[in-house]
This record gives sequence, structure tokens and C-alpha cells, in this order.
Amino acid sequence: MSSPGTRVAVVWCRDWPVVAAGIPAGEPGAVLHANRVVASSEAARAVGVVRGLRRREAQQRCPELAISERDLAAEARVFEEVVSAVEAFTPRIELTQPGTCLFDIRGPSRYFGGDRALTEKIIDSVDQVLDGRTSTAVGVADGVFPARIAARARATNPTIVPAGGSPEYLAPLPITLLDRPDLTTVLWRLGLRTLGDFAALDPADVLGRFSKEGLAAHRRASGLDDRPPDAVDPPEDMTASMALDPPIERIDQAAFVARQLAVQLQERLEARGSACSRITIEAQSEHGESFIRGWRHEGALSVAALTDRVRWQLDGWLNAPPAVRPSGGLSFLSLHPEDLLPAAGRQLGFWGGETEADQRAGRAVARLEALVGVDNVQVAEWRGGREPDDAIGLLPAGTVDLAERQIQVTDERPWPGRLPSPSPVELFSEQPIDVADARGTPVTVSGRGELSEAPRSLCLDGRTWKRIVAWAGPWLLDERWWDPQRARRRARFQLVDEDGTAMLAFVEDGGWWLGGTY
Amino acid sequence: MRESVGLELASIEQLFDTGRMAVSAELRAQLSQIAPVVLAAEQILPVPDVFQVLLPGGGLQRGWTLHVSGDSSARALAWGLLGGVTTAGGWVAAVNVPGISLAAAQEVGVAIERVLVVSSPPDAWAATIGALIGAVDVVVFGAPNHRITPSEHRRMASRSRERGSVLLELGSPNPGGYDAQLQYDLSFDVQPVEWVGLGEGHGCLLARELDVTTTGRRIGGRPRSGRFALPGTNGTLEHLGEPADLAPVRTLRPRAR
Repeated sequence: MSSPGTRVAVVWCRDWPVVAAGIPAGEPGAVLHANRVVASSEAARAVGVVRGLRRREAQQRCPELAISERDLAAEARVFEEVVSAVEAFTPRIELTQPGTCLFDIRGPSRYFGGDRALTEKIIDSVDQVLDGRTSTAVGVADGVFPARIAARARATNPTIVPAGGSPEYLAPLPITLLDRPDLTTVLWRLGLRTLGDFAALDPADVLGRFSKEGLAAHRRASGLDDRPPDAVDPPEDMTASMALDPPIERIDQAAFVARQLAVQLQERLEARGSACSRITIEAQSEHGESFIRGWRHEGALSVAALTDRVRWQLDGWLNAPPAVRPSGGLSFLSLHPEDLLPAAGRQLGFWGGETEADQRAGRAVARLEALVGVDNVQVAEWRGGREPDDAIGLLPAGTVDLAERQIQVTDERPWPGRLPSPSPVELFSEQPIDVADARGTPVTVSGRGELSEAPRSLCLDGRTWKRIVAWAGPWLLDERWWDPQRARRRARFQLVDEDGTAMLAFVEDGGWWLGGTY
Repeated sequence: MRESVGLELASIEQLFDTGRMAVSAELRAQLSQIAPVVLAAEQILPVPDVFQVLLPGGGLQRGWTLHVSGDSSARALAWGLLGGVTTAGGWVAAVNVPGISLAAAQEVGVAIERVLVVSSPPDAWAATIGALIGAVDVVVFGAPNHRITPSEHRRMASRSRERGSVLLELGSPNPGGYDAQLQYDLSFDVQPVEWVGLGEGHGCLLARELDVTTTGRRIGGRPRSGRFALPGTNGTLEHLGEPADLAPVRTLRPRAR
């Protein structure tokens, strides 16, 4: 159990989401997901665009920032080029996420004359493929976690941690590298500032206080094999496979197959009460070529996560450069689970956080977007303004994270000239109406805001006139005069007609318009 | 020995099979504690207290189909009814509601961060509603570009009963048309009574008073009704009393502030 991890090499391409988005090296660029920066280029970081910023904040810090939405499928597809360059050296490569891949280094390193000789060859070969778009870094250590940390070390490239030296290598590093914020904040408050401090604790105490997750983190910090302690090798019959007839050549067909296979595998795993954290995807082309690639995940892979990875992989193979692409369509596909874990389910938040209702709503949004289009599924956003249609705007639901969104409900900033509540319940745009005084002549408002006569009757449809029983106004509004597109100069009225319908009407450009009904 | 066991088994079978609770008070007290009271309450979506007089059972039951009719002030009632659902963490979707004003919804207590606004072309309308039923707690729809046939309505209603969503249709009643054949669990008819605060060239709209009458198959014999201020002069929702007890529908006149 307390064996050190197997010796692996991690190949890591810097700022991969930015590279895959096609933002040229040396220019400031950022990739956003749900309105937050998830990756930024070197030049953008230099001016303060870091992960977690909102779009507006990022643009404020760097006005010439090139912004792109996150596209994981494209990241995986572009990364396939890099993986196939590494594949020239060793056959079994695993991906953790687009931008990072790893392989067992013991065999190839003996063949190519040592860790350093092999990794330098790999860096050369990958840099050739990348062609200056970004730089690549390699780390070699016992276990995936120390190797990943080593790959990200800036001082040397490649960073090679000697065999058995992982615990010493990790010991002085800050504890936040564990990337478990809820755990590391507690440890930090307990006075444990480095991985070494944490590793010095008795595993039994860590298990007692922080349960299984804490123990897994402790094993990592100690430089031990970070395969979960309860993972087992699966029996052979867990493989989900499918013969494809006719062979698939296009990615839309591949996506469909990916989903089917993922569901099939999930059903088999569920029947055993298991989940898997590592899968091998194998494909054969109709001309007998065979392609194998592994994917690894921190926790258990859900159906959606499985589907995504299979789809990305098939996308990568089918759109690879001609030299490495399958020469025909794919005729056979199989998913082989590697590390089986007991399926522990998912604990939902008790207070706050994402609730089950939010998840269901999120899934419904995804389905509706396919049905009616992305722009036709919207959620509210507080914007502030003087007119009822300004105060709360709508934006596509797909661009925000539904669970994390908090609308600021009460805006403390004053909006002078805003009509007090209640607001109209139905809004209209571009709806002309007629309003007349006691003699039947149209009511006008002068440039100085003076009313010609009291309004006595109104006509909504051009035919029937109705008596006005109560009215007030004009309330003048002259806003954004500096912006010809959004400037507004109008005189607003509230009117109640003889049927008891209350209306918001306004005079603009010399005519009367209906703004809304109350 | 065996006979006594048999006797006990028989009494237990009697207890569970026939449902006749010929049991001691102590056992009855225990049964009331283990009965699934929470499950029953989960079937009810919360509604602000002021509207309790309109609803049998004190809330909206999952699976119901509702209809709110009247002029535009009917929307104020619809949003008011849904306020409790959204603040309790539920989601509401509004499909094809023209000129939707979420500011007004917010003023009557809706947590608008959990409102989805969907616009759907006529040919995808049924599929849109179908995708939302079961995924959100309440589906509000107006049907400006689509006439719902009775069979379509029945399908939607049975689907929402099965999946536990509430359907709320906004619209004016259509006597003699297809609406007359449709069965709603609850139908709210909204009549505006008075606007408070607006005078002849002075004041501004402050409070909306309206009468609501509830009918439908869940109400039984006598329709329920009430007069409400949505909102009242102090900005909150108020139940003013029975329309019959109050003055008959008053002529619209400004009230002194």
C-alpha cells in the first residue's frame, strides 16, 4: 500500500486553452467559461488578467485582450497532434485533460538512454509540432502528482526528480498545490504550510479527521502512489464495445456512438456498484489499424464526462493530420475501464451551493438550446436603469453558471428620474397610440416639458377611443445624450382608462407611444 | 406456541391489509410519527400566505394545471402566486410570454434568478413544454403564436401530473372555443377594481386592487374569491377581504394619498 508511485513522465503544454483557441503567442488573450477567465496567455497575465476574473474586469485590465469562449472539444482535437508526436516514443499514453498527457517512463527511458535523453527528445519533437505557439514542459517523478508538479516547475526543463526522491522534492512546496481549496484552507489555519508538514502527520489521524478525501491528499503529499487506495483492477468482462457498421467517418456520428458506449459502460459499472477513474479508448479502422488512448480523471467519471472524453478522442483521431489519421472509417470501438472505485454517489450541498433543482434546470437549458436555439433561452440580469425595460436585462442562459449566479436584487445606487414601483407587468416596444384633449386635438409636450392640454381620451388600436379617468405627468427623461445609439429624450405619463387599465405612455419624437401596461 | 404466533400474524395482516386500525392508542401515536408526512408536503409548492384563501390545501399541488385570465393585471397575480416557489429554491420557466417584465415579477416577490425565459417557434412549442415539464417546478406559458388543441392540452396535463410540475397558462378565457372544453385544476379570474394614488394630473400609481375568483375541479362547489392589493400602498401583498363584504366594484376614482 505504501509503495511509491510508478515512474511517470508528464508532458504539459503551457496555457493550452489559449493555444487551442488560436490566439497567437505573445499576444494577450483569455479563454472564458461562464463569464469567468479560465486561462490566459503569458502577455495577458503580465498585465494582471488571471483566472477567475469576470469578462468586464479582464477587459478593463487589458482593453486589447482577445477573448474566446472555452471549447473543450477543440482543445482535445488540437492536442491530438501533440499526443501523436509523443506517441512516436511510447505507445501507451494517458490524457488527464487537453493540454496534459502522461506515460509510464521506465521502458522507453531504458531504450532511449535515460530519462534526460528521452525527455529532451520529446521536448524537441513536441516543440516542432507546436511551432512556437506555446512551450512544452516535461516532468519526471515517481507518481503522477509529483510529476505534474515537476512539469510546472519553471526553473528547469525537463525537471527530473530522481527515483525515490519524490517525498523530498515535494516537502518544501506550498500546501495549496494540492488544489483542494476546502481542505488546504483548514490545513493552512492549522499551521501546515508545506506539503512536507502535512505528510509528516500520521495517516491514521488524517483519515480520522478528514476521511477518505483527506487520506488521498495525504498520500499525494507524501509522494506515494496516488491511485486511490480502494481502486481495484476490473475483471475483463467490463469492457463495453461496439462494432460499427457502416464505419463512421464524421464526428457527428462519433458523438452519437460515444454517448451509447458511455451509457453501456456506466450500466455495467452501476450493476457492480462501481465507478471508474481511468478508461482506455480503443478504436480500429476498417483497414485494421488500431488506436489506443487512455484518459484519467481525479474522481469517478460520470456518463457525461465519459461521453465527452470519448467524443474528444474520436474527434481527435478523425481530424488528425493525414500522416496519423485512420486511413478509413472507424469500424470498432471499445471502452475499457481501468481503475474501479466503489461508487460513492455525490453529496449535494446542504446550505447554498448547487441544488438538485439547479442541476435539473441546467440540463433543461442544454436541451432547450438544441431545440429553440441558444439565444432563445434566457435568464435575468440586473443592469440598472430608469425605464422598466432597462433595469433588468435578459442574457442567454448558456453563457452563465446557473448555480453560482447571484442577482443583486436591490440596487442601492440611485436612478434619479426612475418611476416608483409598481412596474408595468407587460412591456411594449414601438407601439404608437393616440392621446387627445377635451376638444379632440392631439396632446403635445413642448421642448421645455410643457403640456398643451390635459389628456382626456386615448386610442390604442386606431379605432376606438377611451376616456382617461386618471393621469399624471409629464415626467421628463433625457439620458445618455452623449451616445447617439442609446440616447433617450422622452416625457412619460401614467394613464388609467375607463376600463381600469393603467398604462405607461410616453411622448418621444413628437408622437405618443405605449410603454407598458400595469 | 405456534398458534399464538399465527394469531399475531393475523392481527398484523389485518392491520396492514384492511387498513382498519384496531390498535392501541400507543401504536397509533407511533404510526403517526413514522407516517410519511414530509413526502406529502413535498408535493405542495409553497404560495405566499395572502393567497391561501384562494387555494384548497394551502398551496399549489405538483401536477396541477392552472389558468389565470383577465387583463394584464392577471400577470401580477400569476407572478405573485409563484413568488413562494422561487424563493424556496424552485425554478420557473416562462415560455412565449410576450413583453415579459421581470422587474414587475421581482416586485411581487419572485426570485428572478431562478426564472428561465424561453421563446419558442410554433413548431417546437410542444417539444419545448415537454422538455421543461419535470425539469422546472412551474411552467408558465402564453400561446400567442399557437392554438393549443384539447388533445395537446390533455397530453401536457398528464405528463405534468406524472413528472410533478405545475403548468400555468396565461390568457383570456375564450367562451365557446376550445378553452371551454379544457379542464383546469384551478382557474383564476382577475378583475381590476381600483388604482390608488393617481389623480387628475397629479400623484402616481401606488397600489393595485383586484378581485380574484377561483374556480376549477379542485375547488368543488362554491368558488373562492378575495380582494387583494398587489402591491398595497406600502409595497407588500395584502388580502383585503371578501369582495362581497366590501363595497361593490367601485367606480375608478383617485383616493387621497
